[in-house]
This record gives sequence, C-alpha cells and structure tokens, in this order.
Amino acid sequence: MITNKIDINIFKNKIFLMLFMLSSSYLYAAEGGPCKDYGECDVFKYSLNDIESLQRGASTYINYCYGCHSLQYSRWGRVAEDLKIPEDIFFENLVFDKSIKPGDLMIGAMPEDSANWFGVAPPDLTLVSRYKGDDWIYTYLRAYYEDSSKQYGVNNLVYPGTAMPNVLLSLQGNQKLVCKNIPVIARNGGEKRDELGKTITKEKCGFLEVEEGTGQLSKEEFDSLIYDLTNFLVYIGEPSKAARERIGWYVVFYFLIFTALSSLLYREYHKDYNK
Amino acid sequence: MQEKDKTRRKVLIGLTSAVGLSGLPFAATPFIAAWNPSAKAKAAGAPVKLDVSKMQYGQQIQVAWRKQPVFIVRHTKESLASLDLSVSKLADPNSDQIEEPYKGLNASRSRSPEYSVFSGVCTHLGCAPKYFPEVESKPWDATWNGGFFCPCHGSMFDIVGRVFKGVPAPTNLIVPPHMFEGSILTIGEDKEL
Amino acid sequence: MAEIATKLFSWLNKRLPIVNTFERHLSKHPVPSKVNFWYLFGALAAVTLIIQIVTGIWLIMPYSNTEEQAFSSIEYIMRDVDYGWVIRYMHTTGASLFFAVVYLHMFRGLLYGSYQKPKELVWIFGCTIYLAMMAEGFLGYVLPYGQMSYWGAQVIISLFGAIPYIGESLELWVRGDYYISGITVSRFFALHVVALPLVLIALVFLHLVALHEVGAGNPEGVDIEKYLDDDGVPLDSVPFFPYKVLNALVAIGVFMTVFSIIMFFFPEGGGYFIEMANFQEANPLVTPDHIAPVWYYAPFYTMLRAIPDPLGGLIVMASAVAIFFIVPWLDRSKVASIRYKGIYSKIAITLFGVSFLTLGYLGTVGVTEIRKTMSVICTVIYFAYFLLMPIYSKYETTKEVPERL
Repeated sequence: MITNKIDINIFKNKIFLMLFMLSSSYLYAAEGGPCKDYGECDVFKYSLNDIESLQRGASTYINYCYGCHSLQYSRWGRVAEDLKIPEDIFFENLVFDKSIKPGDLMIGAMPEDSANWFGVAPPDLTLVSRYKGDDWIYTYLRAYYEDSSKQYGVNNLVYPGTAMPNVLLSLQGNQKLVCKNIPVIARNGGEKRDELGKTITKEKCGFLEVEEGTGQLSKEEFDSLIYDLTNFLVYIGEPSKAARERIGWYVVFYFLIFTALSSLLYREYHKDYNK
Repeated sequence: MQEKDKTRRKVLIGLTSAVGLSGLPFAATPFIAAWNPSAKAKAAGAPVKLDVSKMQYGQQIQVAWRKQPVFIVRHTKESLASLDLSVSKLADPNSDQIEEPYKGLNASRSRSPEYSVFSGVCTHLGCAPKYFPEVESKPWDATWNGGFFCPCHGSMFDIVGRVFKGVPAPTNLIVPPHMFEGSILTIGEDKEL
Repeated sequence: MAEIATKLFSWLNKRLPIVNTFERHLSKHPVPSKVNFWYLFGALAAVTLIIQIVTGIWLIMPYSNTEEQAFSSIEYIMRDVDYGWVIRYMHTTGASLFFAVVYLHMFRGLLYGSYQKPKELVWIFGCTIYLAMMAEGFLGYVLPYGQMSYWGAQVIISLFGAIPYIGESLELWVRGDYYISGITVSRFFALHVVALPLVLIALVFLHLVALHEVGAGNPEGVDIEKYLDDDGVPLDSVPFFPYKVLNALVAIGVFMTVFSIIMFFFPEGGGYFIEMANFQEANPLVTPDHIAPVWYYAPFYTMLRAIPDPLGGLIVMASAVAIFFIVPWLDRSKVASIRYKGIYSKIAITLFGVSFLTLGYLGTVGVTEIRKTMSVICTVIYFAYFLLMPIYSKYETTKEVPERL
C-alpha cells in the first residue's frame, strides 16, 4: 500500500509540474503581448446568451463593417435564426441586396479590385475571433488615435500601421495620444509626496483620450457598442458555441452519474477477490 | 454471498446498464443528424421563383427544383375543357392514391386554374416523360388527346400529369408545394400550406 | 426460434472458434488481481482509437481534400452540417487525449518494467503503434490546411531535406509539388484515412495477441504463473469478465468526463489542442509569428531545435523515438517494478519524467538563450536515462520481490 502511494505521488507531481508549466507558458504569452504598444489587452468576456447584445452587434457589423469585410462561411438565414430576428424584419433592415436568399453565404459586398483601395484586400472576418481572440478585437477597435502621418490620419496602438481607417470615428470622436501627469508611486505602494504634502507627479505619455464633444457617443456608449460588436464576432466565429456549452453540462453530468454507478458496481465485485 | 449482496448487485447492474444504454441514442444523434441535408444542401434546394406570364398557351417548360425537373404547363381553355374526355383512360383521376396538396381545387391540380405544376419524374422508375400536346393518333395511343409519354417504359399521363390505366407507372405525377403571387410562381414553398 | 438460433450458433462454432476465442481472450482470460490505475490506460487507448475511427469516418464524408476547399470544408462541417461540430471536436479532442493516454501507458511500462522478458514483443508492437500514431497525427494535422497545418508540415517535410544527397529530391517527392499544395493534402488524406489506420489496427491486434500470450503484468512485478490452481489458472488472477471489465468501466467513466469537459468547454485546449493560427487558411507567403508543434510532438521538436545542425537534429529526434525499441535489452535489473528497484533507477526515472515534460514545455514556447541551454541539458538527461540503464540497473541494490501478489 505504501509503495502504491509513491506511485500516486509520482503521478501527482507530474500533474502539478504540467499545470505549472502550462500556467507559466500562459504568462509568457502575455509578455510577448498580442496588443503591442497598448500593453496588456483589455479583457473581454463574451455573453452569447445575451441575444440583444448580439443583435446590436450584428446591426453594427452590417452597417459599418460588412461593406468591406465578408463573413463568407456564415449564412444570412442562420444569423437571423440564431439571433432570433424574424426573417422578414431581418431581411428588410439588415440585408441591402434584395436578391439575397436566406441560405446564401455572406460573401460580402466588395468589388473584386478592393485590394487597390487599401493596399491589402480587407480580410474575411468570420473566424477573426478565433485566430486573433476576442480580447484583441475588443482592444483593437478602441485603440485608434489621431496620427496625421498616416494615410487615413489615424493609427492604432494595438496594430501599429493598420491599413484600416477608423470607420467608427464619427461615433467615437477624435481620440488622441496624450501625456498626463500621474502620481509617482513610492516604494511602499502609496503616492509619493513632497515636504508640503503635495503629490509628486511625473509626466507619462501614451494615454488614449477622446476630444470632448467630437463623437456622437459617450465613452461608455462607445465601449458598449464595441462590446456588442465583439460579442457578435465571437458568435460568428463559432455559431454553435452557445449550444456547445449548454449541451456540455448535460454530457458531463451524465458521465459523472455513469462513473459513480460503475464505481459502486466495481467495488461490489471487488469484494469477491479482495476480502 | 449473502442474499442482501445479491440484490444489491442486481440493482447496481440494472442501474448501470440502464444509464449506460440510455446514453447510446444521444451518442448516436450527432452521427445520424450529420446525414441530414446540410445548410448548403438546403440552400441549394431553396424554393425557385419564376415569372410565368410570358408562357404561351399550351407551352410546357421545365425548371429545376432541388436538381429535379418540375414541369409547368400553361393550358388553353380548350385543352382544359377536353380533360374530361379521357377520364375513362385514367387510373386515378381524382388523385386518391397519393398525397395531393391541392386536391379538388382546380382541374389543373395546381393553385392556379390555368397552370399545372408537377414533378417531371416518372413515378415508375424516374425517367422524364416527354410532352406531346398534339391531339392526334400516336404510335402508343391511337386516340391521343395530348399529354406526357415516357420514352423509357411507355407510361402515359394526361396534360395535368394524371397516369393512364395499364401503364407501368403506378401513380400520378407528384405536385410539389407552390404558390402564385400574381404571375410569380414559387416552387417549393407555400405560405398557406 | 430459440432452437434454430442454437443450431445456427453450433454450426458456426464448429467452423469458427467463437466460444473458444471468447472464453480464452475475454470472459475467462486471467488478469492479475491487484493492479493500480496505471494499468487502465491501455483500455482507454483502445476506447480512444474507436472514437477516432468512428468520428474519422464521419468527417471524411463532408471533408474536401482540395487546396481550394480543404479549409472551407472544415468550416462547412463546423456550421452547415448538423452536429458537425460535435463530430469534429470529438476527433480533435480524441487526438490529443489519445496521445495523453498513450504517453501515460508508456510511462507505466517504464515504471513497472512492462517490457521485460517475455514481454519484449508486446513492448515493440507498442512502440510501433506509437510511431504510427505520430505519423497519423502529423498527417491529420495537415488536412484542415490552416496556417499551422501548412507551416508545421513545412518544417517537418523540410527535415527530409536534411538527409544528405537525396534530401532535396525526397522533399519534392513527398510534397509532389513545389509547395505544400492540394496534391500534398490529398496524398496525406489517403494515408491518414486508409493506410495508417489499417496499420494501426493491425498493430493493436498484434499488441493484444502477444499480450494475451505472455499475460498482463502487475505493479509488483510478481510472476503470477508460478502458483496455479488445479485448473492451471494463476491463483493471483481474476477472470477478465466481469472484474477487469468493471474496472475499465470506471476508468472509461472518468476518462469520458474529462473528455467531455475538454470537448464542450475547452475544445481549443488553450491553443494546445487546436492552435489559434490554424483558424486562418494556409498562406504560403506569410509565416505566423510563432510556430509551435502540437503539444504531443513538442518534446521531440525541442530536441530538434537544441541541435544547431539540421541533420544532427533529425538524427537525435529519430533516435529519441527509436531508443524506446531497445529498452528491453537496456534494462539489466533482476526486478521489473520500480517498487523493488534501487535508488538509481528511481532517481533516473524521476529525472527522465521531469526532463521529458520540460522538453515538452520548451517546444511550445519561443527560444531564448536560457531555454536553449535547458533544452540541451534535458536532451542529455533524456538519452542518459536510456543509455546508462544497463549500468545503473545492474549495479544497484534491489529489494526482494514477494512470491505472491
């Protein structure tokens, strides 16, 4: 029995080591930084059961993005169905080309020579949430800033030199990179103060700030717009994701019951030869 | 072994196998469902729309719906009136033997009194019958009143697709669901059905 | 009715050894009465193989092996085919868990000396299965024709180029094109779905036949054949049915729970089971920022990278797998199980396990100076475990193995 324990310990140690390595490699991934100059990506938590958010996201996508970015693996009718939008309302409001049928793929509205307009052809975005990640999209779309040296007058902290203009500029307003005086943090973690008790500040640059009154939406409204849009892209990246997670609970529950029953049975029979 | 243990074993065996077996249909579901027509197949098999106002009287055209031929015939008043003449030749003039969607609605068997819409697949072995509208003596029928003749095995149908007696084809040609919005015919969909 | 059935059965049984085979290999097959969880991974590997074959057959149906459609046919499966996503995720999860289970199964073999006389052939068939699995996994990974499929295959096929004289033409021959194109994909498809599964099934059959001939081992390393009852059945054994079957059933329950947690909640396995870059269609003109092999090849990939010369790397990598085949003749110990082996063996296997895992970790991350040094050290430990085995296993004090289980 003691030797048996040693075997189990070897096994346990291996598992811990493996977990440790996986978590440290995760840290490594963050340190490489997919969000580039922005630093750590903002965290995005999808909610595929929030149908209204998905509906708003779909509408934003079709109005602002679909003109250039197709969703070629997805079908119009499936989106309407999954997002619980009645087909006639969906087609009336979101499908501009009246020859489109519900079963058609969302192959985009872009003419063939579009690559010439932007230098690169705008990529299809059906799977963008899967190869870039939702955090990345959510951060990227909010990280445009004014930069007159660029072709469209904007640049992006997450994707420096991006070929895409800020399509949502009128909604967000003019975002600029600004410098701010921020309190210097002392070694003990508090703010550093001078003899008079005033906080010592230091100028730091690279903050994003929207020029007040230039956008149609407030910062919160804009963030929530991007949230919905990203949520929609998560959905379109894997339309069965919500169903997958729902069914998953039942399957796991089933196997737990099966395991419990079979182990009771095993123990019962184990008595035959292990008295 | 004690009686109590025996019962316990029996109960556990029963429960475990019941739970195990009850999982099988669920495990089989994806594999069975994966053989259903996919979204792509369904999109390709979507309803077909066409304008039939340009058709000539007596003309027959063929459209593909789900890759199968569907015949549309625009009847003249005379030909519709002459339908009764050949009733004695028909095996099932009222389409009692098949699921007929628009039974008794029109003599044309369709939603429209003027047009017939039926599948161009012979109910015998799946050949496509040919349209012979002429009222004249034919090698296969001396008193031919116009209709469809299948070159494969000689099945005969009248101009609205009803099968003749004594031919290999067992039933009338099938009428698919369809609807007319003005002169726009949609095959494969009927909002009222 | 019942009478006809009985007659038919006896007619069959006279011509086919049904009852005999069933009793000998299933119902009455004696297995050691005391084993631990390490002995369950073989059964789990069999379950996974069956899952892979069934889901594989179903994936062939909608998959398209052309350059233009390979990638989009995967999305077709994921979206347009009813429950296609279930079948595909089962296959991807199954692939990773197949390797996980087989690695644990192999480690069990090293722990308890499951390769020792007379089980050499069982072990060799097992190693060949592992080899076939590596090829099978690699070929399968190319089929979705994503970025990782393309660049992973690019790296592996380039290895052939490291072979002197024939390398370059061999590379071209394997691809059948000047890049990894639809031509390559369709030949890999044929090998993945027909050739290698046939080989795998045949090898599994041989593995089991050989195992049943010599009998299963146990964690004590006790030879149960020494003490037999009047019918010639080992005293320390129980019949396969129902005892072993029930044990396997519990293991399958636990395994399937883990399987479904991964499949339904983490199918990408944090990028280790399905890599993010593989959601982008193959593009021969753009290399992804970070090429990493799937986790189950990672240890060997690290060895390849640790050696600066490609040919040397290839040789080291191939030897790392090949060396498993000669383990039965490297181990000179009087005892089989780690429980009765001496301290050297215990240290050796711990170091081996740690270095193998470290190599695996290093294969999935980028290269730095320190990591490179670590790779070299771990590669050395990996080989030292095997190459020094004849010495440390022979000159260590072992404990007395008990007579009975």
